[in-house]
Formats: sequence, structure tokens, C-alpha cells
Amino acid sequence: MKLIRILKNIYRNLFFTLGNITKPAVTIKYPEERRVFPDKLRIGTFGLTSNEETGEENCIACKLCEKVCPSQIIEIDIEKRDGRGWAKKFNLDLQSCIQCELCVQVCPVDAIIMMKEAAKPSISRNDFYLTKTKMMRNAEKYEASWAKGSILQESHTPNLEDKK
Amino acid sequence: MLDSFIIFATPIFKTISILILIVAYLVWLERKVAAKMQSRVGPYNVGYPHGWLQPLADALKLMTKDDAIPKNSDSLLFNFGPIWIMVVSLASFALLPFYFENPMLNVDLSLMLFIAISSLIIIGIFVAGWSSNNKYALISVLRMTAQIISYEIPLIISLLIPCILIGSLSFGEIIRFQEDVWIIFYPVLGQISFIIFMISALAEGNRIPFDLSEAESELISGYTTEYSGINFALFYLAEYVHLFGICILGSIIFFGGPNGPIFSGNILIVIKALLFFTLILFIRWSFFRIRIDQLLKFNWIKLIPLSFTGLLLACLVKYYMDFN
Amino acid sequence: MEDRIIERDFGDLAVNMGPQHPSTHGVFRLKLYLQGERINKIESFLGYLHRGVEKLSEKLTYDQLPPVLERDDYLSPTSNSLGFINAVEKICEIEVSRKSSYIRVLVAELQRISSHLVALGTYGLDLGGALGGGASLFLYCFREREKILDVMEDLTGTRFHTNMNQIGGVRYDVKTESINKIKKLIKELKPVLEDYANMVSKDEIFMKRTKNIGIISKKLAEESGGSGPIVRGSGINFDVRKNKPYECYSEFDFNIPLGINGDAYDRTIIRMQENIESLKIVEQIIQGIPSGDIHSRKPLKSPKLTRPPKGSSYFSIESPRGELGFFIVSDGTAIPYRMKIRAPSFSNLSLVEKLLPGTFIADSVAILGSLDPVFGDVDR
Repeated sequence: MKLIRILKNIYRNLFFTLGNITKPAVTIKYPEERRVFPDKLRIGTFGLTSNEETGEENCIACKLCEKVCPSQIIEIDIEKRDGRGWAKKFNLDLQSCIQCELCVQVCPVDAIIMMKEAAKPSISRNDFYLTKTKMMRNAEKYEASWAKGSILQESHTPNLEDKK
Repeated sequence: MLDSFIIFATPIFKTISILILIVAYLVWLERKVAAKMQSRVGPYNVGYPHGWLQPLADALKLMTKDDAIPKNSDSLLFNFGPIWIMVVSLASFALLPFYFENPMLNVDLSLMLFIAISSLIIIGIFVAGWSSNNKYALISVLRMTAQIISYEIPLIISLLIPCILIGSLSFGEIIRFQEDVWIIFYPVLGQISFIIFMISALAEGNRIPFDLSEAESELISGYTTEYSGINFALFYLAEYVHLFGICILGSIIFFGGPNGPIFSGNILIVIKALLFFTLILFIRWSFFRIRIDQLLKFNWIKLIPLSFTGLLLACLVKYYMDFN
Repeated sequence: MEDRIIERDFGDLAVNMGPQHPSTHGVFRLKLYLQGERINKIESFLGYLHRGVEKLSEKLTYDQLPPVLERDDYLSPTSNSLGFINAVEKICEIEVSRKSSYIRVLVAELQRISSHLVALGTYGLDLGGALGGGASLFLYCFREREKILDVMEDLTGTRFHTNMNQIGGVRYDVKTESINKIKKLIKELKPVLEDYANMVSKDEIFMKRTKNIGIISKKLAEESGGSGPIVRGSGINFDVRKNKPYECYSEFDFNIPLGINGDAYDRTIIRMQENIESLKIVEQIIQGIPSGDIHSRKPLKSPKLTRPPKGSSYFSIESPRGELGFFIVSDGTAIPYRMKIRAPSFSNLSLVEKLLPGTFIADSVAILGSLDPVFGDVDR
């Protein structure tokens, strides 16, 4: 009857929450433990790569990433010498980035990449406004994510062999 | 003159200081148990690794916060509310054999006096809600008055059922009666009266599933909306003091008080009260809350006739036992 | 007192459930006129979260729009970009490969489960109190949702606004390790979701709080323009995945749960049963992802790649809230001329004016929670 049904419900609810006491907690106790970042992480900062053999920077200041960004956070100034373009100024406002990775996809020379390091909190606004020197230093210090412009564009080209 | 004052005041200071310390750590216990039931870690950093300094940090923070009084409120009554609640909750501890062998106030009618003193708390709550000049506080306080007044009847009757079987209202007699067997193991009447007492204690102490005027999700924060700083700390602590008093009452009347299965002593009252408190905690973190009109219907239609039936049964059983 | 003009309404106490409130599910302002505990009349105010997405779409190109549009209905982001991209592909007449269609449906169904878990968890917070049994239900639902978000992070890189869909296909491929992780997720989630559905639907206090509350009759549901689990609770059998199938939904085998009475209890039960059906679809996808390429156009090398011909089109999909539709008018350039979003939460929220008067304050919170509005969708 109804009383027995009520008592069974109370019993089941109470023992469900009580049974949870024996299971371990799911919190990660930062900063003693840290989470394992996956390969494709894109919540971090940016970096500008340079050529491995010659050591000169890859960016040719074609301004494609500036045009494709939906939030319009990149500013580039170009100067031409020695037969190719160089970026005189490369500013990126990290606070307005929406982490869509379109700039990485569009770059023809794999210059701009995302790093596998979460942005650290700070109390001054200058730490989030990345200049060219900061980004080149980021590329040497931290580990790079999986996505590069050439890899993404190669996987998007149709009529490719299947990769399972 | 001075030494008579010292003899008068020392038991009061001893009891109050130990009581406040226990109540502050009851808050810590609640947060840890709640965290364990929800797969997380409770207070952790303050007093690494288990956070046992957290109540101290909370008390310091609340004492140094700005004590803001709203402009259009009645400032005398606004400050009067929390003080009244705290004083009355602490005053009811004079009747309980909590720290000493005999209670400070040893009268023949201790049970009735305890319930009479703790039913004065509603005045402080009503004054606090009314003088806040806030519509949310007003609605919440109106609900709360109806709830507390309605649930005092089953509380008193469910405590009277063991007293009729025992034959007296004083705590000393009740404890002496339970040296052989506790009241909760009495055939039918013990269990019925315990269940009714449990439901009424939850309603009197404003705990889930009957807490619709306090930690609201509909009316922000009930009667404590406009309070901050030391006033809020007084409300918070007074609720736990009142609840702890009811837990000790339950452990004396239903669970035998200082009489234990293996050894006897006054420390067993506190241990049994803590276990009863943990049961109330488990119920808090497992159930939803019910609506005000369902609450009042449940009381007047189902709970009060049941308690009166129990009372009649207890009278008949006592008459039969006295007759033989 | 200075300005207490509201209280001069004779007989009614006017209470403001303001834009900042613990249980209005977002920024929403309601003025309630109370008599005792009953609500006599309400006035509602919207627009606190308006960000001008439709005006912004007159400046950004078609390729830049999907990451911006994902912030619309922020609890199930990929369904927004899915609808937009399908509408553009309808004008341009692009054929999408079968493999990318499977991946799109996989991500959409996983996000449907996560959105319904959030709805259930916050409903528990409303009914049970932020310090009490409701908080336990809330934290359990979010603990299960973390597993789904970990899978999304493994597939794409971010947990939430993934930017997975692009015009012509998807961006990332699904490799064998990801498939193993999804299989492990299904094995963990299946008993847990059935357990929660069982426990909540038979809970005595939950039934007392939600049965016969906020009843939407069949006639009102047909006239109102609502969609999604709300009208399915009243017995109307309309789901965009079955009536106007898109992507590859016609290849899978799943049911549509229906309700009988149309009260808040039925709507919550329908959402929990939809979780189990979505898990069935995910299982069928994992068993047979076809081989092929994941894109069917040239890769994105410049932002002005897509230039649809002149014309207009409308395309609608089934988001967890109802029917989400996109209407695009293009004039031949790379920037749309006009884009209009048909938001499901906006039409569903208009039922509040018929449902709330005559109930208690405590019931108003229960009704609002069961309608499940998301204010990014209402205000755009």
C-alpha cells in the first residue's frame, strides 16, 4: 500500500547518497596534482615558430590570420626585404580570443601555433597582450599542440586514403 | 559578594564556552559529511589536510565584515532579533544534564520548561523578519510562524507518550527508568513516538525537508536577507545551538542518556546526540523540500490524529499496568 | 517612504524576481503580483543578454560565422553551427560525405545528453534548495557530464565550444583511440542514466512537487508555437529528426518518448528518457563509422572561400530545446545579406503568461525549471 511505497522510496534515496560516501572524491587537488592535458589542447597561449635549420622566423606577414579571425584580435605590420616579407609588428590580444583555431588552419607556412600550456592568471593587463617577442619565446619554452596549418589542410583535402 | 558571584557565574561560563566550541565544530562536521556524500572534498586548505581550522577562519571573517543596517529599517528591533534568539537558545541549556552530573536548574517539570523556553525563539525570528523592511523577509517569516506554531503540538505530544509510561516529567526520573531498556525498544509506542518526534524536530529546527523559509531558492535567503557580519553569525550559530539542544533531548528521552550497553557516563549523552545529529545530516543532503500548503496539510490531517491516538494508547497501557 | 509606487496597487503585494536570482535560469525579470501566496498577474521583461548576433552576421563572412553562432544556445553549441552550415549547404548545393555526417551526428547527440543533464541538475537545485538534497542531485549530474566533456576534449581540443563543423564537412577525424574512449564512456554511462531516471521518477517528494503543476493542454500546445520536449509532454508527436529527417538520422533506430498529461513531471521524465535514446544512437554510430574523407571542398585558405549564389533558404534542426531554424538570404557575395534565427526558447517562454497566474510562488519556480529556457537563445 501507499505507506510501504513511501518507506521503500525513502530507503532507496537515503542509501544511494550514503553509498556514495565510500567512493573516492573526484576533485583534483591543485596545485599538488595536475590534470593530464590531451594532445589537441587549444585553450592556451600562442607561439610563433622559427625554422629549425636556419633559425629565421617562419612568418611571412601574409595577413591571412588577421583577416580570418572572427574577433579581429591580430594586428600585423609588414616590411619587405631580402625577397620575402617580414612581420615588423605582430600583436595579439589574448583576452578576446575565442579559441576557434581558424588562424592556425589558414597559415600557409605553419608559423602561428597554439601551445599546450594554460594561460596563467595575473593582475596586470599587459600579461595578456602578446607581442612578437613574447610569442617567439613561447614557442621555445612550451610544448606545441597537435594542430598545425599543414596537417589540418592536408586532412581536409578530399579524395584522401582513409586513416583509421 | 565577589565570591558568590564567581560561584554563580562559573558553571554558566564553562557551559557556554564548551557549547560554542562544539557548535562551531558541528558546522565543520556538516560540511565534511556533505562533501563526502557528493564525491568531493570539503574544507581542505585551512589547517591542511582536513581543514579543521576552517570554523575559526569563518568566525574571524564574519566578525570583521561591515555590519550594514538598511536605512528604512527599525534599527532597534533589527539588532534585537539575533540577540534574543541566541540568548533563548543558550538559556534552554540550563535544564539539560549536558556538562555536569546534575543540570543547573533541577526542577520536577524540566521537560515542560525546556519546551516552553525553546518556543520563545519564534518571537526573535518574527521581529527579525518584520524589521528588515523587505518583502522577501516578510513572506518567509509568515510561512515560518505558521510552520513552527503548527509543529509544536506533535512535538509535545510525542514527548509526553514516554513520560506517561514512565510517570514523571523530570530528567532524573527518565534516566533512572531507562537503566534496563531504552524507550525506543518499547514494543509499539516507542517506535511511533520516535518517528513523530523525528519529524517534528526537523520541522522545528528548520531542516530539509521542511526548510522552506530559510535557505530558499525562491525567496533568496528568507529572514536573514538583510543581515551581514556578526548578526548573521549569531543567526547561524543559534540555529545549530537550538538543534543540538533538541538532539540532546532526543538522546536523553529515547536513547537512554548516560546508560550505555557497556559502560555508563555523562559523555555518552554527547556521543548519542552527535550520532542523532549525523542522522539529521544524512536526511538533509538526500531529499527535496515540500511546499507550505502540503506541509500544513500533512500536519493537521495526518500527524496530529496519529499522535493523539498514541497518547490514548499510552494512557490505556499505563492504566492496565497500574491496575494489575 | 520615497518611491513605493508599486505597492499602491490595491490588495496585491508586488514582488520582483529580478534579473539576478538563484532560480530563474538566467537573466530574466518577472514582476509577480501576489495575494497571500497565490500569483494573480505577472509581467515579464526580456533582453538582458542581447548581443546583436543577427546584426553581427551582416559583417562577418560565412566561414567566420560558425564559431560566433555557437555562443547562442550555450548549453549545446554544435547544434547551432550544424543548423547554419546545413542552411548554407542547401543554397550552395554541396554534398557532404557520409563519414562527416556520422561524426556530426555523434557530436550532436553527445551534447544533447550533456544539455539534458544540466537541465535535470539545475531543476534539482530549484526544487531542493542550494543547500540540501538538490545540491546532491546537481553534483551527481555534473560528475557524469564531466566524462562526456573529457571525450569532447580528446576529440577536438576544447571541452565545450568545439568549432567542429565547417561548411563542407568536419574538422577533426575520429581515430581508434577515440573510439575506444567512447566505448568506455557508453559502458559507464548506461547504467548510471537508467539509475537516475528510476530514482527521480519514483521519488515521493518530487512527485508531490511536480505532478499536476503547469499543465499544458493539447489545444494550448498546438496554438502556442512551442516545440521540443514541452509539447511532446502533452502528447503531440512532432520531432524534426523523424518528421523532416536531416543528416543521416534516417539510418538509425530510436524512439520518441511521449507524455500523457502535460505537467512538469512528464516533461522531466521525457528528458531523461531521451538521454537513453541518444545513447542508443551513439552506440549505433560507433559500431559502423564508414571510411572516407571528412571534407568535400577545398580546404579553407582564405576567409572569402564560400560565395553562395543568390537566393534564400530555411533549415531547421532539433536542438535539446525544440526546433532551431536558420533563414539565410544571400546576394552573391561572401557576406550574408540577412540571417534570422528562429529560437526555440523564445517561443517556449511565451507560455509563461498562461501558466503562471493562479499558482503558488513555489510552483512558479518548478514551472520555469521544467520549461528549460536558455537565455542566450531567447535574447541572442
